[in-house]
Amino acid sequence: MVAPPHRPAMPVQTPFHPRTSALCSSLFWKEWAGYHAVRSYDTCHEREYHAIRHAAGLIDVTPLYKYDVTGPDAAALLSRVMVRNIARLKTRQVTYCCWCDDAGKVMDDGTVWKLGKHRYRVTAAEPTYSWLLESARGLDVRVEDITDRLAALALQGPRARDIVVAAIEPEGRSLAELKFFRLARGTVRGPRGAHPVIVTRTGYTGDLGYELWVDREHALDLWDAVFEAGRPHGIWPAGIDALDVTRVEAGFIMNGVDYFSAHHCLLETRKSTPYELGLGWTVDLERAPFIGQAALKRERARGSSWALAGVVYDWDAYEELHARFGLPPQVPSGACRTGVPIYGTLGAARRQIGYATTTAWSPLLKQYLGLATLEARHASVGARVDVEVTVEYRRHRIPATIVETPFYNPARKRA
Amino acid sequence: MGQSTTLSFANPAHPDYPAESGRPAQSRYDAIIVGGGHNGLICAAYLARAGRRVLVLEKRPVLGGAAVSEEVYPGFVYSVCSYVVSLLRPHIIRDLELPKHGLEIIPLDCAFSPLPNGDSLARWADGQRTYREVARFSRKDADRLREFSLEMTRLCRFAKGIIDHPAPDPTSMRPRELAGLLRMGAAMRDADRATRYQNLKLLTMSAADFLDQWFESDVLKAPMSVSGIIGTFLGVRSPGTAYVLLHHYFGEIDGAFRAWGFAKGGTGMISMACARAARARGVEIRVNAGVEQIELDADGTATGVVLQNGDVIKAKVVVSAVDPRRTFFGLVGEQHLDSEFVAQIRRYKLRGSSGKVNLALDRFPDFACRPGQGPHVQGDIAIAPSVAYLERAYDQAKYGDFSERPFINVVFPSLVDPSVAPPGKHVMSCFVQYAPYDIKEGPERWPERREAFGDAVIDTLAEYCPTLKDSILHRQVLTPWDLEQEFGLTEGNIFHGELSVEQLLFLRPAAGWSRYQTPIANLWMCASGTHPGGGIMGSPGELAAKTMLRAGAL
Amino acid sequence: MTTTPDIIVIGAGHNGLACAATLARAGLSVLVLEARAQIGGLAGAFEFHPGYRAAGVLHDTTRVRPGLIDSLALEHHGLRLRAGRPDLLALGDGEGPALRLAGDPAAAAAAIATRSDRDARAYLEYRALLRRVGPALTSFFDQPPIDLIDAGGGDLVALARLAVKLRGLGAHDMMELLRVAPMCVGDFLDEHFETDALKAALALPAVSSTFAGPRSPGTSANLLLWEAVAERGVEGGGPALILALEKAARAYGAQIRTGQRVSKLLLDDAGRVEGVAVEGGEDLRAPIVASSLDPKTSLLELVPLGALPRELERAALNYRARGTVGHVLLALDRPVRFTGAREAQDVAFARTGGHLLELERAFDAVKYGRISETPILDIHVPTVERPNLAPRGRSVLSILVYHAPGELSGGWTADAEQTLGERVLGVLEPHVDDLRASIVAQLVRSPDALAREYGIAGGHLHHGEHALDQLLVRPAPGCTRYRTPIPGLVLCGGGTHPGGGLTCAPGYQAAGAITRGR
Repeated sequence: MVAPPHRPAMPVQTPFHPRTSALCSSLFWKEWAGYHAVRSYDTCHEREYHAIRHAAGLIDVTPLYKYDVTGPDAAALLSRVMVRNIARLKTRQVTYCCWCDDAGKVMDDGTVWKLGKHRYRVTAAEPTYSWLLESARGLDVRVEDITDRLAALALQGPRARDIVVAAIEPEGRSLAELKFFRLARGTVRGPRGAHPVIVTRTGYTGDLGYELWVDREHALDLWDAVFEAGRPHGIWPAGIDALDVTRVEAGFIMNGVDYFSAHHCLLETRKSTPYELGLGWTVDLERAPFIGQAALKRERARGSSWALAGVVYDWDAYEELHARFGLPPQVPSGACRTGVPIYGTLGAARRQIGYATTTAWSPLLKQYLGLATLEARHASVGARVDVEVTVEYRRHRIPATIVETPFYNPARKRA
Repeated sequence: MGQSTTLSFANPAHPDYPAESGRPAQSRYDAIIVGGGHNGLICAAYLARAGRRVLVLEKRPVLGGAAVSEEVYPGFVYSVCSYVVSLLRPHIIRDLELPKHGLEIIPLDCAFSPLPNGDSLARWADGQRTYREVARFSRKDADRLREFSLEMTRLCRFAKGIIDHPAPDPTSMRPRELAGLLRMGAAMRDADRATRYQNLKLLTMSAADFLDQWFESDVLKAPMSVSGIIGTFLGVRSPGTAYVLLHHYFGEIDGAFRAWGFAKGGTGMISMACARAARARGVEIRVNAGVEQIELDADGTATGVVLQNGDVIKAKVVVSAVDPRRTFFGLVGEQHLDSEFVAQIRRYKLRGSSGKVNLALDRFPDFACRPGQGPHVQGDIAIAPSVAYLERAYDQAKYGDFSERPFINVVFPSLVDPSVAPPGKHVMSCFVQYAPYDIKEGPERWPERREAFGDAVIDTLAEYCPTLKDSILHRQVLTPWDLEQEFGLTEGNIFHGELSVEQLLFLRPAAGWSRYQTPIANLWMCASGTHPGGGIMGSPGELAAKTMLRAGAL
Repeated sequence: MTTTPDIIVIGAGHNGLACAATLARAGLSVLVLEARAQIGGLAGAFEFHPGYRAAGVLHDTTRVRPGLIDSLALEHHGLRLRAGRPDLLALGDGEGPALRLAGDPAAAAAAIATRSDRDARAYLEYRALLRRVGPALTSFFDQPPIDLIDAGGGDLVALARLAVKLRGLGAHDMMELLRVAPMCVGDFLDEHFETDALKAALALPAVSSTFAGPRSPGTSANLLLWEAVAERGVEGGGPALILALEKAARAYGAQIRTGQRVSKLLLDDAGRVEGVAVEGGEDLRAPIVASSLDPKTSLLELVPLGALPRELERAALNYRARGTVGHVLLALDRPVRFTGAREAQDVAFARTGGHLLELERAFDAVKYGRISETPILDIHVPTVERPNLAPRGRSVLSILVYHAPGELSGGWTADAEQTLGERVLGVLEPHVDDLRASIVAQLVRSPDALAREYGIAGGHLHHGEHALDQLLVRPAPGCTRYRTPIPGLVLCGGGTHPGGGLTCAPGYQAAGAITRGR
């Protein structure tokens, strides 16, 4: 149905919509940043999950916010905004990082690519245009919102390399040699012509994977070419439910779920710093001033009060708890975003020490996993904690163990 | 069928009408409420809930005061004065069980502002939709919208403490007063530093300046800023107008989600629901019962009222739900008051600044920029194309003219509530600012200017709705003078007094008399001229009743 | 000075000098750097036509803080206070005689009585009210600011003390103060007076320092803050004040260098101030730099990019400093003779405007980026007190023009400045005998020109609008007590508490903050 002009249809459709909607037999959609996004093509996302882990999954990630930052001071601007020293980035390199407010609280996370001298691209989960623009005062730099102009596909899984090599003609060296967190330019040929495409070796699944970026008007050619090349390799369209499970296995946090942008928190206590989110490794602290630096320096000196940790439920206890009710162990089919309290021992008392923000059953690891925010002193790897489990409308606690993330980290991811 | 429900609230002759004419049943009551507007009715209901015998007297044949629905033109029900429900306090809705008594609020989904260049801006309840709309004008502004509304929500917590309690008195050292001040102080203290700073700015800045800090696009700022000026004699660049921006965000925090809306059947239905709730609690309500004066005994204590027909009715307390000027100069008389107080009430500024144009339409008048009867026109429509446009409208009023190109707030209640117009036909309600009471020809000359004023409004609207003029079946033009003559709103002020800082809190309506009490023993006030002020909020009525009961006044 | 000074003060205007002199007197080594060729800033004298000198831009010295005069012993350094508050001519609309508002309330009331007995009584009451609320408002000027945003224990004590002081007014005056402060000055004056020209003349200080007309709420507070602390003033005006401050500063050991334009602040790796870079010169070191420039310039231009906390940067960008006042200087070949008060040859101050609405209309124009058609003029005749500013028998007129926008739509071209000058003469002509025939030279400066000449953002003569929010938290959270989040950078100009104008309070208070912190 075409919406009347006075009320543009919302959410809007991504340029891949003709393909994704034809394939989405389940009609399971959700809104992602104002776009329609497939949750799962089938009524159950399991097949899509396995495609990602065993063959290749193709995910429409167009709704990501995308900005081009160009000009002589582009590096200076991004170094000022990002916790990472972007000035050190090499051309065709991509980096993952986050950015903070003055108080060192995380606003969002995403990637920064260096496309060339004075040319960068930023991807973000939330609108970041005005933040970049306001930070650019006095700098010779241009910030452009290209969110709606660029279409993007994530191709993730062990066969992703074969498919990319087959689908995209590289500009230079073979795409087979494209290293982890690097980008390359290439051409995709489709029924409607040849179009430039950028390939980044990035993803949100913790697997071997690529993301493909093309002008929106060529989106369908890209989809068709990749799908055609992927057919012999078992390519399968994947929705964001499958993506969600894989990102938990990979230990990736999500803005709006595992943490909240400092811009949108009504409560101070809801905000987090990079250190508290396990993103300390992205912070280049000792360098020219950047937003949040002073606060982060203070935190580093003082120590953080919260930490992000992985928890693995004690499966035997989980099974036994269900057995007590005469039930087989039940797990939610997808990643679950309902917060779960976590308890620890404090002297003689049991007390809440944190909460899991996302939990998920890993079909691959056969484990029930959680990404948790814990009081830092309780977050040491190997520590035993209790997690809350609700069975038959009653709350129970069962043991769990703090582990390092990623939960799943195949060698092919970086190889 | 629909017609008869319509008439039950618009027509006092209908058997369902919760009030009647004729003599009150008794000659003594615990409380007599003068004025059957929503505040008077709410006050009565709260008093009756506490077991008091209460009589409400309304001068007009219909209840509701300025919150009234009337079938002025056959088949068309106008929300004659007040037109949308904004701040009706949710606990009052719960306390008085207003939905059980017929209150239904249809939420406003969209705030639409057409532009003279053929474009338009629609702001929706759905944030993503609004983001995309605003991004057409400024991507930067779109980005900042969410941050802005969060900031406003933060600030609301502070304001809520103010409107739900009687105003503290800073000159008093009584523990109760100090507690009130501390409560305001504590709300300030608990806020983080950024919020404290914004709070200070919000309380002192102009709406336009405040929004300038956040946004660059005039198209967005202009319709946002108008909430700061509605009902005031101020412009969007006048300091102090930023505070009212909060009102839009109020509903989000106090459990009355989507608090802005139409009352089904027009705003009169709110009064009807209040009246029925009052009646269910034993309140007696009389219409066509104008009060001539408040009767005082030899000590100057209020003992009852004298009706226009000469009847005398006694009560332990008399509660005035009319504005302060009318209460003291009209019903009490200056001779019974000390000169300092008389000076205070004389200084009290009413200066009405708005008018109302109600239209009965043969068909829907399309907006050229976005034709059709879609959801964009089912909410609140603001003719506010730029900040300079609004300021110019104000500038004209300052010198005693009505605005040639005014700010107009348009709603089409018939689009969401078919009970107010015949099928396919429409009611168009236009709130118009500025129309100063004190035009330079003198207020009593307003009747001669009335049609010119109406023409200015129609001409302005026709720039956006080219077919409007051909669809008008009937038009009702209410100038501030008419609001005074017909509804007893002194100087046509819809809020019973300007909502300027020097007339708020402990200064409303006069220093030392902000607690619903008056210098006349046993005479109380309960309407918009008392804290926390005007609008269909209900708080003055509720707080007055509670204050009287606590003081053991009756 | 070969060794590193303890403190560098940027700007040798009245606040820079007050700060430097106070610090030097406390035993610190101070170096003052002034960008222009002469010291004095907006209060400094300069020759605008051969033989004719202006006595600065700002006219009103009645609010120079007595505490500063005492502590720097300025009277030993040549400062003379006037015998009483200076008289002011309310010129009205030019029809009929001017109203002479004498500094002495009784004399002023006697003059007003020729127009209205009621107003004469009201005027005495008004001055009495100012006297009563004076101590409470003076304490606002003479005490360190209360930090409303980051209130600590000391602030609460100070707040309590202020509350006690307010309560000391008595319930009636306190209520009145709380009631009047947020009002618009138009309503306030309408409550008291009926003579239009009187109201127009009294209203001007309420709107002179902010983006407002007499119908704008909050302007009454400005009026009270201005009038209740006004005293006799300095004989000879701004230049005499500057001269005394300079003498005092030098006597206490401060060094003053002109022609030294600071381009950037130098910060060390830890983000601490270590000196300043001077345009076309060498870097100068000092552990503390006090900037008397306006906050926008100090924070946004002098501080190296990226060093300012983001929140403060936003606050500084949002700090409102929209110039609304132009400046016109006239050199006349004869003494000024006001048509409505030819006998008042001894009066140095005059204001035009016959009605509050004229003032409002004059303000309306700047909202839309236009020059007022009939501006209101605040006139100073400096040659009355100091005849030697002009050749014998001649005179100088210095006029602050309300209103001319900082951002004129279409920009401030030469034509636009000429229009401004012409409109000023048009308004002035009926008030001054043989005006056009006696003009020897004129200098017209738009807010834009003043911004460039004096290096003040927006050309706002008070270093930022005196709006309520910008008076209570001046200029922004984190730097309301002169110190800033940049260690070693102190603000000491009119953009800090208690605001702009020739009070010297910011400079004096900032010096106190520095010495206390050491």
